[in-house]
Amino acid sequence: MQSLLKSSARVPSTLLRAFSTTKPLLLSSTRKVTSQAHAEPLSSVNASEIAHFSRLSSQWWDERGEFALLHRMNPPRVQFIRDKILEFKREEATARGEDSIDEGKGVLKGWGALDVGCGGGLLSESLARLGARTLAIDASESNINIASLHSSADPHLASTLAYRCIAAEDLLAGDSPKKQYDVVCSMEVLEHVDNPSAFLRTLGELVKPGGHLFLSTIARTPLAHLLTITMAEDVLRFVTSGTHHYSKFINPEELIDFFRSDLRWFSGEPTRKEAEVRGIIYLPWRSEWVVPPRGTPGVTSCNYLFWARKPLEGRLQ
Amino acid sequence: MLAARRVPINPSRLARALVLRTEVWRRFATGVDQPTADSSTRDYDIVIVGGGPAGLALASALASYRPIRESLSIALIEAGDLSNVRKWAPEADKYSNRVSSITNASREFLSDIGVWSHVRDERTTPVEDMKVWDGLSDARIEFSPSDLGLLMHNPNASYEMARMTENINLQHALLKRLDERPEVHIMDKVKVDSIEQENAAGGWPVVGADGFNSPVKSFAKTPSYGWAYDTHAIVATLFHSAPSPLLPHRNTTASQRFLPTGPIAFLPLSPTISSVVWSTRPSLAAALKAAHPDVVAQMINAAFRLPDVSMRYLHSIILEAQAAGTPLTAERVNEEIAWRERSHAIDSQSPLSSSDRAGAVGIPPVGSEEYPPLVTGIQPGTIASFPIRLSHAESYIGEGAGARTALVGDAAHTIHPLAGQGLNMGLADVQVLAETINKTVLQGGDVGSYTSLLPYARDRYFENHKLLSITDKLHKLYSLTNAPSVWARSVGLEVVNELDSLKGGVASRASGSRSGAGWSGAAATGLESVIGGVETVKAVASGVGGVVGAATMNLLRQAANSK
Ligand SMILES: Cc1cc2nc3c(=O)[nH]c(=O)nc-3n(C[C@H](O)[C@H](O)[C@H](O)COP(=O)(O)OP(=O)(O)OC[C@H]3O[C@@H](n4cnc5c(N)ncnc54)[C@H](O)[C@@H]3O)c2cc1C
Repeated sequence: MQSLLKSSARVPSTLLRAFSTTKPLLLSSTRKVTSQAHAEPLSSVNASEIAHFSRLSSQWWDERGEFALLHRMNPPRVQFIRDKILEFKREEATARGEDSIDEGKGVLKGWGALDVGCGGGLLSESLARLGARTLAIDASESNINIASLHSSADPHLASTLAYRCIAAEDLLAGDSPKKQYDVVCSMEVLEHVDNPSAFLRTLGELVKPGGHLFLSTIARTPLAHLLTITMAEDVLRFVTSGTHHYSKFINPEELIDFFRSDLRWFSGEPTRKEAEVRGIIYLPWRSEWVVPPRGTPGVTSCNYLFWARKPLEGRLQ
Repeated sequence: MLAARRVPINPSRLARALVLRTEVWRRFATGVDQPTADSSTRDYDIVIVGGGPAGLALASALASYRPIRESLSIALIEAGDLSNVRKWAPEADKYSNRVSSITNASREFLSDIGVWSHVRDERTTPVEDMKVWDGLSDARIEFSPSDLGLLMHNPNASYEMARMTENINLQHALLKRLDERPEVHIMDKVKVDSIEQENAAGGWPVVGADGFNSPVKSFAKTPSYGWAYDTHAIVATLFHSAPSPLLPHRNTTASQRFLPTGPIAFLPLSPTISSVVWSTRPSLAAALKAAHPDVVAQMINAAFRLPDVSMRYLHSIILEAQAAGTPLTAERVNEEIAWRERSHAIDSQSPLSSSDRAGAVGIPPVGSEEYPPLVTGIQPGTIASFPIRLSHAESYIGEGAGARTALVGDAAHTIHPLAGQGLNMGLADVQVLAETINKTVLQGGDVGSYTSLLPYARDRYFENHKLLSITDKLHKLYSLTNAPSVWARSVGLEVVNELDSLKGGVASRASGSRSGAGWSGAAATGLESVIGGVETVKAVASGVGGVVGAATMNLLRQAANSK
C-alpha cells in the first residue's frame, strides 16, 4: 500500500474500502489479548480517527489550544524515555566494567528511532534533538504537512528528522530486508487504532532485537472515563468531543499480557529490565504532568506509559 | 532590529551586526539598508538582550550546563560599552555607589556557575548583623545569625547573612567567567531598536534582560502593572571611622531606619567605607544632590538619629534655601542640627548627637553601636539618585505575536530598594530559567516554546510577586504617621524582636529559601508577619506554639483592634 491518505478533509473512497475490511475489534469482549489472530496483514488505521485529527491538524502547535495538554505531556514522557535508556546504558556499561556513561544531551545519538502516529511531531522533534536519526510517520497527510512545516523552523532537525505519510504496516510491506529501529515510539495512538493487537505486532516487528518500544495510552477504567471523556471532552472542553472512545482503551495488564503471551518478549512477571508500566497524571494546579514514583498505588488507572525491550533473540521460545 | 548604536564603532563591526540582524536572527528584520550577506554569520539558538547583571548571569548560567553548551549557541547583545567593565581596576579606597546585598542563596548560585571565584573578594563585605528601626517610635528589630539557628547546627558556619558587593565587581566577574566560555558570543555597543518576528512557528527565543524599559517586553506587548513611588533613592559612598575602636576591622552591620519619607539604609563596604541608599521625596533628593557633599553627610547622620519632627524641619529649610537660590552651607546645617539636638535634650555624649564631630573620631559614646558610624565625608562624584517604582510584568513568557520571548530581572519586575532584593530576584530568575532550559535540552524540547518555558514562569512569578507586595506594604506602612498605626507596627516589631524563635523562623524562612531574601528581606518578612495582620502571624506563631504563641497572638490582636 502507498501512503494512506492523500487529503486531509476528504477520505478517498478507495481508502474507505480498505478500512472497512478491518476486522472487528479483537479486544472487545475479554480484552484479554491472545495469540489467536496472528496472521492478518490488516491495517489498524481507523478512517474516522484520521479524519478527526486531520481536521484538528492546524492546531497541533497551538500550545495553548486543543493540544495544550499533549504539549505539556511531552516533557515527562521524553524524560521517561531518557531515563529508561540511561538505565539501560548504565547497566550495559557496568557489565563492560566501565563506571560512567555520558548522560548529556545525546542519549539517542547513533540510534535509529521511529515515531508511529507522530501527529504534529511533538515527540518526533524531541527524539531527533536527543540525537536519533528519526523517521516519523502518520496516516494523516495534513498532520505530516504540519509536522514538516514546523520542524523546518529548527535547522538542527534538518538532517536528523524525516516525515512520511504512511501506515506502520506499510513500512513493513516495503523494502526488504525490512528496516528495524533501536527505538520505536507510539504515544497516545493505541487508543485510536482499530486493531490494537495487529498494530502492536507491527510495532514489535519494527523494533530491532534488543531495541526498545515505548507506548503511552489510557486505561479502561471508570476513572479514565471520567477524566478523559466526561471532564476533558464534555465538561471542560479541553479536548474536542469525540477524541476518545472508551471501548478502545486498554489496561496495562492487558498490554503486559499481550507482550508476554503473544509477542513472547518475556515470560512471567516482567522484570524492570524487560518491561515496565508507569502512571502519568496531570496536576491542574501546576499545569503539569508528573510520573509518580514506582509503586504509587492507583496511578496507572488513567494515562500510563509503557516500555518493553525486545529480546535479542527476537522472541522467547 | 538591532541597528542603531549609541557609540560610534568601526564599520566592519556595523556591517556584521546588520548581517546578524537579517541573516542570522531569522526573526529579526530591519528597516535599514542591507549590506550584503556575510557568509561567516551563524545562527543563534538563544539571544539575550541586555548585559546588566541579570543578562550576564544568564549567559554564564546557560554556559555552565554542558548539554546547553554542546547543543545551543548563545548570543548576548548589550547597548553599552562593556570594555569599561572588563577593564575595571578600582583603587583600594574608592567604591562605586551602585552596590547590592547579595544573599547567601545568590552567592551559592554564583559559585555554582563559576562566577563568584572571579569576584574580588577583598572588596566585598559580609553583613553579619542587621538593625532595623521605626523612625517614629524607635521600635527595633535585630537579626543576627544566632536567630537563624546557624551556629547551633554548625559551629563553623559563617555569621554571614549577605555580602555587600559593588554591582561592577559582580559584572566584572561575570565577564571574566564568560571570557572562559567562548560558546557565548557577546556583542556590546549594539542596541536593539525593535524586534520583528518572521516566523511564528520557530525563530530563536529572545530573553529580555534589558532592564525596566525592556524593548523585549514592548515587542512582546506584555503589559505590566505598577506605579512610580513618589520617591527617589539617593545613593552615595560614605567615609567614616571604624565603628568600634576595639574591632577596627569590623564594619559588618547593616542598618535601616524607616522614616515617614522613606527608609534610609547604611550598608558596609569596608571598615571605614559604607554605602547609603536613602529613599525620600523627589524634591528633597534633588535638593540634596545639588547640595554640597558635606551637607549631605550631615543630613545622613541626622537622618539616622534625629526625631522625625526635626528631620521634617531640616527638610523644609533645605528646600526653602534651594528654592531661594541660596543653598545652605555645611556650617549652617551643622548649627541647625546642633540646635535641634539641644531642643531634644541630646547632649554631645549621646549616641544620637552628630553635630559635634568629635564623636566621629574619638571614643564613641555608650550606645553608639545601635547607630551606624558617623559619616565624615563623601567620596567625590558618588552622589546620585534613582526614581523608585514598583512594576511587575503580567507574564514572563510572551504569547501570540510576542511568542518565544522571556523576561528576567528588572525587565520583569522592579522593586523598592528597601528590601535589597532587586538584583537577587533577577539572579533567582536566571537560575531557574537556566535550569528550565537545561531540562528542556535534556528532554529534547524546543527551548523557546511556551510549554518549555512555563516551569520558569510558574516557579518565579509567585515568589517575585510575594516579595514585591511585602516590600510595597512595608513602604506604605512606614509612610503612615498616625499614632495607632505607629503603635501597632512598633508593638509588632518589638514582639517579634523579643521572640527569638519566632524571629528565627521568620529570618531563616527568608534567607534560607531559594528566592534568597536578604537581610532586609528577612526584616521585611518579619515585619510582614506583623503588619499582614493577625492571620499571617497566626500561621507563623502556630509553629512557635504554646504560651509564647498565645501571648504573641494576644498582643497582636490588641494591636490590630486598636486601629
Ligand atoms: C538605589 C538602588 C539600590 C539597589 N540596591 C539593591 C540591593 O541592595 N540588592 C539588590 O539585589 N538589588 C538592588 N537594587 C536593584 C538592582 O540594582 C537591579 O535589580 C539590577 O541592577 C537589575 O539588573 P538587570 O540586569 O535586570 O537590569 P539592568 O541593570 O537595568 O540592565 C539592563 C541592561 O540592558 C541593556 N539594554 C537596555 N536596552 C537595551 C537595548 N535596546 N539594546 C541592548 N541593550 C539594552 C542596558 O544597557 C543594561 O545594561 C537597587 C537598585 C537601586 C536603584
